[in-house]
Amino acid sequence: MHETSLMKNLLAIVDRAAGVEGNGPVRVVHLRIGEMAGVSEDALRFAFDVMAKGTAAEGASLDVEKVPLQIRCAACGANSNPSDFVFICPACGSCDIEILAGREMEVDYILVGDRATESEDSGA
Amino acid sequence: MHEIRIGEDLREKNEAIADENRKLLSAKRIVSINVMSAPGAGKTSLLLRTIPLLKGRHAVGVIEGDIQTTSDAKKIAVLGVPVYQIETGGVCHLDAAMVHSALHQLDLDSIDLLFVENVGNLVCPAEFDLGEDARIMLLSVSEGDDKPKKYPLMFRESRVLLLNKIDLVPYVAFDIEKARRESLEINPKLDIIEISCTTGAGLDRWVSWIDAFVESARRR
Repeated sequence: MHETSLMKNLLAIVDRAAGVEGNGPVRVVHLRIGEMAGVSEDALRFAFDVMAKGTAAEGASLDVEKVPLQIRCAACGANSNPSDFVFICPACGSCDIEILAGREMEVDYILVGDRATESEDSGA
Repeated sequence: MHEIRIGEDLREKNEAIADENRKLLSAKRIVSINVMSAPGAGKTSLLLRTIPLLKGRHAVGVIEGDIQTTSDAKKIAVLGVPVYQIETGGVCHLDAAMVHSALHQLDLDSIDLLFVENVGNLVCPAEFDLGEDARIMLLSVSEGDDKPKKYPLMFRESRVLLLNKIDLVPYVAFDIEKARRESLEINPKLDIIEISCTTGAGLDRWVSWIDAFVESARRR
């Protein structure tokens, strides 16, 4: 359970971003979590519910976008989405593999502003 | 509402401190190995068996990580090598900041090879760079041969997989070939060494790996 220490970092990032812009309450925190990131979404959500109180993220909803694993073969250059964590190039069989995506654990963006603007947005 | 783009990784703060550790260890010419596994796979037993075999060639120091208790550090201290115990107080892994504090508690001028024994956990430690030169892991045969595919990240991140408690194979349902094959699918560059910290089997191969790794790391 390291989601609490990651959540501390997340809340600090959101505090900093929201404070600089000064654009009212944070409504949504959008996270990108890779398929191979060693983190549990449930534990993150639990930590967010408990720890967001008193921070800029209090009252915001946490959106989690899953990022599939994507690899690139250094030998032949082919990109692929491995299944079952097989890191062997399906095109040429090389083991020289670079992970392009799937390790993410990042705050992609936040949505800020008051609810009046929110209804305008959703009506548009 | 409007959008504020951020794109910041939750591990960035840890990465920055890990880089500090890397610089400090490199300045002191210390090679460091992060030892990871599930609880009970044999990390402490491995160090207790390994350190005497390195005597005369490497000046070893140890950082022990546990959620609670200092018993592992006491066991290591009997070997007469410098050891510092981190008690994480509930945290399931070591992070770079914990190791940074520990490095200031050890006499870094008296060692040239540092083992960091991580908290027993097959998931979280793999996400936290400590500034080490190599990560290695143990999987004991009593844990089951399905672990590589269940916990792929640590297998992907490790340079060496020590299949420990190999003397227990006749008594447990562990398919060595399956474990090897699936570990190599995740990480084709993984060195797999079968060992037993009880009988001493395979420890010579493990020690040879350490000697070769330390030599290549020093040449960098």
